[in-house]
Amino acid sequence: MSTVLLDRPRRVPAISSTVLLAGPPAVFLLVCFVLPTMYLLSASFLQSESGVITGGFTLNNFETLLKRSLYQALILRTFVIGVSVAALVVLLAYPLAYFLVRTSSRWKGALIALSLSPLLASVIVRTYGWYVIFNREGAINQFALNLGLIDRPLQLIPSTPAIIVGLAHALLPYGVLSIMSSLNGLNPNLERAALSLGATRWRAFWTVTLPMTLPGVVGGFLLAFTLATSAYATPAILGGPATETIATMIRTFMTALLDWGLGSALGVMLLVSSVILLTAAAALGGSRTRV
Amino acid sequence: MNIPTTRRRVLQGLAASSAAGVVAAPWVGAFAADTLVVNAYGGEFQEVFQKTTIEPFEKKFGVKVTYDLAGMSTETYAKIRATRGSPGFDVAAELSEPEILLGAKEQLLEPLTEKEVPNLKYVWPRSRLIPAVAAIHYYQFITLIWNKDKIAKPESWLDYWHPEKKYGEKIKGFVINFNPANTLSIFSMMLGAKAAGGSIERMDIAFDLLRHQKPYVGTVVTASAQAAPYFENGQVWIAPYWSARANWYMAHGYPIDMTVPKEGTIGLSAGAAVPVGAANKKLAFEFINFRLDPEIQRAFSLGYHCSPGRPDIGDWPKEYVEKQITTQEQMDRMTFVDPELLAKKRREWTMQWQEIMGG
Repeated sequence: MSTVLLDRPRRVPAISSTVLLAGPPAVFLLVCFVLPTMYLLSASFLQSESGVITGGFTLNNFETLLKRSLYQALILRTFVIGVSVAALVVLLAYPLAYFLVRTSSRWKGALIALSLSPLLASVIVRTYGWYVIFNREGAINQFALNLGLIDRPLQLIPSTPAIIVGLAHALLPYGVLSIMSSLNGLNPNLERAALSLGATRWRAFWTVTLPMTLPGVVGGFLLAFTLATSAYATPAILGGPATETIATMIRTFMTALLDWGLGSALGVMLLVSSVILLTAAAALGGSRTRV
Repeated sequence: MNIPTTRRRVLQGLAASSAAGVVAAPWVGAFAADTLVVNAYGGEFQEVFQKTTIEPFEKKFGVKVTYDLAGMSTETYAKIRATRGSPGFDVAAELSEPEILLGAKEQLLEPLTEKEVPNLKYVWPRSRLIPAVAAIHYYQFITLIWNKDKIAKPESWLDYWHPEKKYGEKIKGFVINFNPANTLSIFSMMLGAKAAGGSIERMDIAFDLLRHQKPYVGTVVTASAQAAPYFENGQVWIAPYWSARANWYMAHGYPIDMTVPKEGTIGLSAGAAVPVGAANKKLAFEFINFRLDPEIQRAFSLGYHCSPGRPDIGDWPKEYVEKQITTQEQMDRMTFVDPELLAKKRREWTMQWQEIMGG
C-alpha cells in the first residue's frame, strides 16, 4: 500500500514575538518622529535668503551660531542649567524617595501619591506659580520689604537661578520615581548586616545603600538633565533675553523669525551634544556600578 | 515564542483595517462644505471680530465658523509652512506684509484676484502693491503709550529711548522692550533713529539707543498681547504700541493714553489669505470678500479702533476721522516700510538686538 502525502496548508513564515511587540512602536517612532525630525534637521544644511530656504548645501548656519559669543553662551547656559537642575533634583529626591520606601506608615500609598501629585498639574501652571512668587510684586519681595530686609524690590526674574528652581520643582517627581525603583530593589538586610558589623548609619548608607542605588540616581539625573536641557515653557516664563536657552531660541528662530535654517541648526546642536553627554554619563554610571 | 501566522489571518487583519478606514474617511470631509475655519487673534480682537464679522457672516451664508486662535502672524505662517499649505484652517485672517511676501515666494497662499474676491476693486491703491495672495482689511500705526497716572505725556520718540532725560531715575524698570520678531521693535527703533537725527534707515543709531535704554528696561516680551497685563497693572509706564489695540485698551479703562510723537509714525497693514491646501476655498474667498463689504468694514473699524481697508466709506464720527486713516491724503502722508527690506534684514537686526539685550 502506497503512502499518500497530504499537502499541508501553506503558512506565512512565523513572526517572532519580538517583532510583533517592538515592530509597531518602532514603525510609529520612525514615521512620526525620526523621519519628520530628519526632514526638519536637513534644513540646517540648506541655504536661505530673507527667510526663504533656497536650497544648496551650506554650513553657514552652524558657522553663524558657533562664531557668535551670544550663541556660545546660550549653549553653555543651557547645559549648566541642565546639570544644575539634575543635581538639585537628585539631592532633593533621594531623601524623599528613601523616606517613602522605608516608611512603614499606613499612609505610605497616600504619601507616595502626594509626592507625585505635581505631575497632575500642567508645568505652565506650576511655573506661573513661581512667577507670582518671584516677580517684583511677588511674595518674596513683599516678605523682604515688610521685614525691612530690602528697601527696593529685587529683580528675581528673569534670571537663571529662577529657571533652575522652576525646573527642579517640575522635574522632582521623576527623580523620586527613579530612585524609589532602585531603593525598592535593594534588600534592606544588606543595610542591617552592615550595621550589625559595626558600621554607623551614615557609613552603611555611604558604602552600601548609595552604591547599590546608583543606577536609580544616575537614571534620575539623566532624565532630569534631558528634560531640563530641552525645556521650553519654564525658561520662557521665568527667563528673558539674557537667560535664553537653546529651546527658547529655537522657538524664536522657527516661529517668530521664520528662519528655519538657524532653528534647525540649533536643534542639531542640541541633539548631538545631548547624545554625547548622555552616552558619557551612562557609561560612567555603568562602569561605577560594575563592582 | 513564535506565533504561527497564516495567510488567512494576515488577509483578515488587512481587511479589517481597510474597512475601518473606509468607514472613517467620509467623516473627514463631512463638515467641509458648511464649515469655515478662520485663524485670527484672540483676546479683545476676537471679541470685536466675532461680533462685527463672524456672526454676520454665519447668518448671511448659513454656515458655521470655527475660530482658530492665532499667536503672532509669524506663528500662523510657520504653521502654513510646516504643513506645506494645509495648516487646518481655511483663512489666515491676520497676516502682515512680510508673511504675505513669503507666502507668495513659497507659493503657499492662493492667488487672490477680483474674480475670487470682487471687493478687491475697492481697496486702497497702496493695498494693491502687495503680492496678489492676500487682501488688506485694515490699517493701523505705531504710537507711544504711557501710564497717565505715573508720568507726563511723551513728546518725542527719544522720551522712550532716553526715558531718564524726561522722567528721571524713577522710570528705571518700567520701560518695556519688544523682541524684533515683533515689528513694534523694529519700527520703534527706526523712529528712534529718525528722532536722534538720522533716518529710519540708520539702524546703527537705533542700536546705540537700545544700548542706552537697556538699564531702564524692566520687561521684554515678544507678542503685543503679552504686554497688555503690564500696562494694566502699572508695571510698564511707557511703550511703543499699535494704535488699534491701544485705543481699545484706553476705551476699556486701562490707565494709559496714546500719542503720535512729533517725529511721526509708521503704518502697518493686516491682510487675510487662503492657504493653498485649505479645505474650503470657496467659502474662504467669500469670507475675505464679505470682510471688505462696507457695512462690515465700518462695524469692525469702529469696534477695533483701526483704519478701514477701503477709502470709499463715509460718514465716520468726527473723533474717529481725527485719529484714523480715512482719506487718500492721510494715506499718502503715512510712512510704510518695504516688507522686502524687513524680510532681508530681520535676521541681522534680531541678532544684534539679542547681543545687546542678552549681553
